[in-house]
Amino acid sequence: MEKLFSRKVTVTAKYITVAIVLSLLTLLIQSAFAKREFAIAGFLTIAVIAIAITYLTNISIPMKFFLPGMIFLFAFVVGPIIYTVAMSGFHYQTGNYISKPESISKITLGGIRPDPGQTTFDVVVGQDSAKHLELLASDAGTKKYFIATTTSKTDLDPATITINADDVATAAPGFHALTVDERFAIDATLQTTHFYYSKDFFITLEGATVGALKSQTLSYSAATDTFTDVRTGDIYKDNGVGNYANVKNKTDLLQPGWRAPIWFSNYAKLFTDPQIRKPLIKVFIWTLIFAFLTVLTQFALGLLVAIAMNRKLFGRRFYRSIIILPYAMPSIMSILIWGGMFDTEFGAINHLFGSHVHWFQNAFYARAAVIIVNLWLGFPYFYLICSGALQAIPAELSEAAAIDGASNRQVFGKITLPLLLQIVSPLLVASFAFNFNNFNIIYLLTGGGPSDTLGGDVAGATDILISYTYKIAFSAGTQNLGLASAISVVIFVIIASISLYGIRRSKVLDSFK
Amino acid sequence: MKKWLQQDLWRHLVAIAVCFFALFPIYLVFLSALSKSGSLQVTSFWPQTLSLKNFHMLFTSPKIPYLIWMKNSIVIAGMVAVLSVVIGAASAFAFSRLRFKGKKQGLQLLLLVQMFPAILALSAVYVIMSRVYTFAPHLGLGTQPGLLLVYLGGAMGVNIWLLKGFVDSIPMELDEAARVDGASAVQTYWLIFVPLAAPVLAVVSLLSFIGTFNEFILARLFLVDMNARTVAVGLQGFISGQYAQNWGPFAAGSIVASIPIVAIFLSLQKYIISGLTAGSVKG
Repeated sequence: MEKLFSRKVTVTAKYITVAIVLSLLTLLIQSAFAKREFAIAGFLTIAVIAIAITYLTNISIPMKFFLPGMIFLFAFVVGPIIYTVAMSGFHYQTGNYISKPESISKITLGGIRPDPGQTTFDVVVGQDSAKHLELLASDAGTKKYFIATTTSKTDLDPATITINADDVATAAPGFHALTVDERFAIDATLQTTHFYYSKDFFITLEGATVGALKSQTLSYSAATDTFTDVRTGDIYKDNGVGNYANVKNKTDLLQPGWRAPIWFSNYAKLFTDPQIRKPLIKVFIWTLIFAFLTVLTQFALGLLVAIAMNRKLFGRRFYRSIIILPYAMPSIMSILIWGGMFDTEFGAINHLFGSHVHWFQNAFYARAAVIIVNLWLGFPYFYLICSGALQAIPAELSEAAAIDGASNRQVFGKITLPLLLQIVSPLLVASFAFNFNNFNIIYLLTGGGPSDTLGGDVAGATDILISYTYKIAFSAGTQNLGLASAISVVIFVIIASISLYGIRRSKVLDSFK
Repeated sequence: MKKWLQQDLWRHLVAIAVCFFALFPIYLVFLSALSKSGSLQVTSFWPQTLSLKNFHMLFTSPKIPYLIWMKNSIVIAGMVAVLSVVIGAASAFAFSRLRFKGKKQGLQLLLLVQMFPAILALSAVYVIMSRVYTFAPHLGLGTQPGLLLVYLGGAMGVNIWLLKGFVDSIPMELDEAARVDGASAVQTYWLIFVPLAAPVLAVVSLLSFIGTFNEFILARLFLVDMNARTVAVGLQGFISGQYAQNWGPFAAGSIVASIPIVAIFLSLQKYIISGLTAGSVKG
């Protein structure tokens, strides 16, 4: 062995690998810094330093084993979790996605209004001799002509300039029109340039040869951090939760808002806002029922089959290999197939029973369908577990009871079942926790429906917490990432408590000592 | 005979009934895969006309890059299977065999982060990967390598935990002997542990393969381009359209895609059960 792994070869291989990894990561860091992604660049820098220290020195032997796994775990699991927890402290939803400075610039842009007469001018874009942008503007109707720069307006005498047949000025002394190419090169700047017209009004370009008279109706003052509506005199102040609100009318908000830190308000809303609390309670109760019924039905059927086949039976191997097929099939495909089978018009289920049930349009039937499909998916698992557990129970116990005169039923009820439950109870808890978050079956089978969307419900009858949260976070139009993150954290706490309870029972924690 | 009736008849009846329940959807999939009509409409539970049209379409139609989807799934799941075990085994070995400060806290942290519902960290992963895209377009959102990285991160918690369970059951005498003979931890790992644990590592990597092959939500979020999709995302596309539910090709595609998974599963039955009992549930 030692000769095969000659030390020189392995050491060289190690240094080459480390060198390659480090240089690749360094390249990534450079481009991340170039694009100003400081958080990611910072994480990668820490990773590079950790890799270099761990593998080029002998400071910590365990670290040599942990580091690659740790980097992945932190990048794609711990990082997103921290990010989610942080999001839960923000007012972060449709209309409040961007940062405050971005919001201010968007409101400012949005606060530009055309003048009451909707005046437009024919314009030529050009420069003065010092290469400052200028507009040569013509009001063909009144035959008035002027040159507007970004800071001033100079009226022109029609006699001194060139005017075409349409009464539009095309050239003036000292004014150099831009060529098409020159214009194209500065197009982005031109779109946002304000040319001076009067104290309250300015001209913006509306096309290649048209300028429109506009005024800033919402003006921002950095000193007081307020917006003022020039027309009405209304003042909009930062309301502390991500919007500028009218001081006279708190519900009059300027859009868009920004993602503002609101600490625990999202959590408080879960308990106090009836519009959120009501569907949430409904969904939570169904989640518990769903997870409980799933575990109960899966376990009951699995146990029944395990007991039936807990004996040398002709064809047992054959039965067994058929029964575990649902468990072996890719679950995504089975769920989608079941979805088709429950179709009202053409589905196999209605055909088989000669019924005409609207499975996915009725809350009760949709819930029944979810439980049936989940039973099909999961009972083989409990069958396998139970048949293993039944074999682990010593036969002497039931034999002794039988000799003492206990009936078969008594033996099962008083000896086999309690022992079996003791063995499988951690798995029942684990299965409960898993189904509590069984996103795929809900999402792919019913999509959470049916729901009264006309009544404004986001939550459907079969929505469980996780699919409901997914809807809040991702459904178009009404995304609320802050609230969804807060629910995620609450789910996490619930699941963690259930699982810790299960683990305590199964004594996995003993191995920590 | 009477005794047989009493003791075994009900057992057979239960087993047969349950077999029917288990086979019913699977039978229907075959039925619609082999039918001409390309729907899951059931007019009869007996096949009327048998045709391989759907399978033929799957492999030859230029509109359905089924073989590319299969290749994508196999390549991505295969790489996750190998890499996640290569990375995870080292951590599992350290947790199982080495003594160090913070071991208990490390295990607890691992357990805790695993309980965070992955779906709910989705938006964060999405934001992070779309930022990565801005400076590394080959690794970010919408790319297969990006998806691979996210999968590796997600597989880490489960795999380390699962591997640790298996590794704990490997007798410690051999690596202790190696230590006594003066081998370092790294040497013990490569020369003693890896050869010993090879079958276990193979099993866990196959489990990882199945899990990744089955993954849907992230794959759908990441892979928009028709030719970049995995088979699960691609097949779902057949039946997700409200007016264009192509059950025939979907069923045929599901059968072909299920074969390798069912085969792996059946051959690994024993290990999968013991792995599941060790505290995780198939998703």
